[in-house]
Amino acid sequence: MTRVVVPIGPQHPALKEPVNFRVIADGERIVELELNLSYSHRGIEKAAEQRDFIRALPLIERVCGICSHSHTTAFSKGIEEIMGVEVPPRAQYIRTIIAELERMHSHLLWLGVAAHEVGFNTLFMWTWRDREAIQDTLEEMTGNRVHYIMNEVGGVRLDLSPLQVEAALVRLPVLEERIRAYVEMVEAEETMLTRFRGVGCLSRDEALCFGAVGPTARASGVDYDVRRDDPYLAYAEIPWNVVTDTNGDVYGRTRVRIGELGESLAMVRYCLEHLPDGPIRVSVPKTAPPGEILSRYEAPRGELVHFIRTNGTDRVERIDIRTPTLANWTSVAHCLIGRPLADVPVIVAAIDPCLSCTSRITVSNRGEDAASGTPPRTGWEG
Amino acid sequence: MADPLLLAAYILIFPGFLFLFAYSMVFEFLDRRIVARMQNRVGPPFFQPFADIVKTLGKEVIDPEGVDRPIFDAAPIVALAAVMTAFLYVPVIGASPLAFQGDLVLVLYLLTLPTLALMLLGWLSRNIYAAVGGVRAVTMLFIYEVPFFLALVMPTLMAGTWSVSEIMAWQKEHLWLAVLQPIAFVIALIGLQAKLERTPFDIPEAETEIVAGPWTELTGRRLALMHLANQSAAVAGSALIAAVFLGGPALPWASGSAVLDAIAGFLLFLAKTLAILLILATVRGATARIRLDQLNVIGWKYITTAALAQVAIVLVMNAWEVGA
Amino acid sequence: MTVLSEMLRNLVSRPTTTLYPVEKVPIPDAFRGRVECADERCIGCSKCSLVCPASAITMVENQREVEFRGKTMVRKKKPQVSLYSCIRCGLCERHCPADAMHLRNVLSASGPTCEEVIM
Repeated sequence: MTRVVVPIGPQHPALKEPVNFRVIADGERIVELELNLSYSHRGIEKAAEQRDFIRALPLIERVCGICSHSHTTAFSKGIEEIMGVEVPPRAQYIRTIIAELERMHSHLLWLGVAAHEVGFNTLFMWTWRDREAIQDTLEEMTGNRVHYIMNEVGGVRLDLSPLQVEAALVRLPVLEERIRAYVEMVEAEETMLTRFRGVGCLSRDEALCFGAVGPTARASGVDYDVRRDDPYLAYAEIPWNVVTDTNGDVYGRTRVRIGELGESLAMVRYCLEHLPDGPIRVSVPKTAPPGEILSRYEAPRGELVHFIRTNGTDRVERIDIRTPTLANWTSVAHCLIGRPLADVPVIVAAIDPCLSCTSRITVSNRGEDAASGTPPRTGWEG
Repeated sequence: MADPLLLAAYILIFPGFLFLFAYSMVFEFLDRRIVARMQNRVGPPFFQPFADIVKTLGKEVIDPEGVDRPIFDAAPIVALAAVMTAFLYVPVIGASPLAFQGDLVLVLYLLTLPTLALMLLGWLSRNIYAAVGGVRAVTMLFIYEVPFFLALVMPTLMAGTWSVSEIMAWQKEHLWLAVLQPIAFVIALIGLQAKLERTPFDIPEAETEIVAGPWTELTGRRLALMHLANQSAAVAGSALIAAVFLGGPALPWASGSAVLDAIAGFLLFLAKTLAILLILATVRGATARIRLDQLNVIGWKYITTAALAQVAIVLVMNAWEVGA
Repeated sequence: MTVLSEMLRNLVSRPTTTLYPVEKVPIPDAFRGRVECADERCIGCSKCSLVCPASAITMVENQREVEFRGKTMVRKKKPQVSLYSCIRCGLCERHCPADAMHLRNVLSASGPTCEEVIM
């Protein structure tokens, strides 16, 4: 049979951000797959080297829109650890509240997008309608629906007034009810289940071999969550559970994410009710002592890693961000081989891809090419 | 209706082509409004489908390089013409004046032409997404046509006639065929949803998988006409099922004047087609899109088997003269 | 509840859409909107200009007598914000020692010209 090249991306209705799959299909079956990332490379890591810590935070935040708080928190806590600064407990709790609210709105967004990818627009509309409650809460607390800039090195920028706490607590029971309804719907909606079950299967060994992180890995039975295994913020003090599943397919990932929605809601409620008093920030020195640190954070999509090297000035010397989506792309490429073309949006959406997070490095071989006379080649490494 | 002027008015204005276009836009508006309200949204205003057609008609027609322009221009027109012709044989205010023995077969055949036009457009578009979409459209046609035709031919077994208008008339003295042959009715509705390529059967036009399938390279007036053909097929299909299964635009008793019969028939026609639209819109809102290989399994294993079972039941019922 | 029952319930209830422009979405107090500098409090220290990540603030000449921490002084400069460059992060508000820079909860940066600034 003839093989056809079907380009999925970089512009495609299935993809919210640019990525390119060069799919070689035999009829409807995918035979080969080539992955091209880095269409959203913006040079943020380089730009962060030229800004001091205060000005670098809004920049780091804009690595991603949905997981913006993840990046600033990972960066701030890394710098704080290098400086040896202890953040007051009230600030830790506020950071946790924003982090879990961000996880909730990210998972609800994902549920809607996954439903949209299989043509189930009704669930898409409903989940995004319920997500508005979380966005309103975040807007009341921080001033914006995304890009909260709540963090600064040493604590948080704003305090939560009792009115804001009350308004947030009032919205939670309705959300709890809706999440319960979605759990029921996902288990019962037959047409969606036939698209999700058995699709994108990743065994536990494969997940570990390909380095999958986050809900993608937890759905395959990998019991790893940075919040429990390397605790930060207030996670060591709050009662919560890690959600895992053994299905390993898109259905399993759906169950993990909905389970995490419920857990996050309980965490937000606990933190709001048990908010400790005290200052919201400490004063920090202007410069950081030289050092290297690996700051890990459980973003909504998985384990986020910031490597920061400081050299005694008020700027970072090098920051390297390894986002969870970058770790998950290999498993997508592996899962897609042999599946029908119709499964491409489902499997891609199942890892909750955030392309703005993904592209970090560009490798350019200008030197040796100049010597051999060939034009300079720029390889994009995600 | 031997008067040629009256016949021309029937064909061209009401309840012919002009009524078909107007009603198809009302159909589309109601479909989108109902689904939107079910999704807790507001939905488009009343003139939206009309505005869409008028706007699209005025847009630039873009020809991809190397595309066979005459066929590209002709295919939407052929699709629209087929649906318009099919609608003439469906009873709207009473029996169709053009009815003849076998017009059921003609209507079913004409309603298949839009899918073939779509496949042709997809194949000729020189676009990989359109080609995949066109192939999917024809594959789906193979899967759903068999049970759909079987379901619509069941009534002829019971009514003993091949004319849509006479099947409708047969239901005046007997029960509705939807009651006598419920499986056939359900299969006909499923087949209609697949013919109109609506969720869960919108596989050829899967937006998140193959952009727009065979519709990808249609622009300007070609898109407008193809869209109109699709919406008119919805009306024609619903009217067909209303006439064949739900008794059509006929009062169960004979009233005095012909005019009153026509008005009452028309109101019944509206009510029944809108009821069918409600069912189709609910199914569209409540389901996800299934894959083509899954449809293959479901179509042959369950739907065709059910249709064959219905054939057996109808033959038995005929032998025992149930419902006669 | 199932999908079908929720759909039918939604069919007879009011949609959740805010019918703009008849209805408007309420803007909370903490919303980070348009930057405004209180003229009677600014002491011209340039901290906002140094801290702004988008480099949207330039200091311009403007003399005025102001009260700062109980003492009267004459300030020499005042910030000028290019509203189209402003990313509304709130860092100027956070680091202003005289409590002069504030982000009000009105929408920012919409207008007919490119050079819209505030004094």
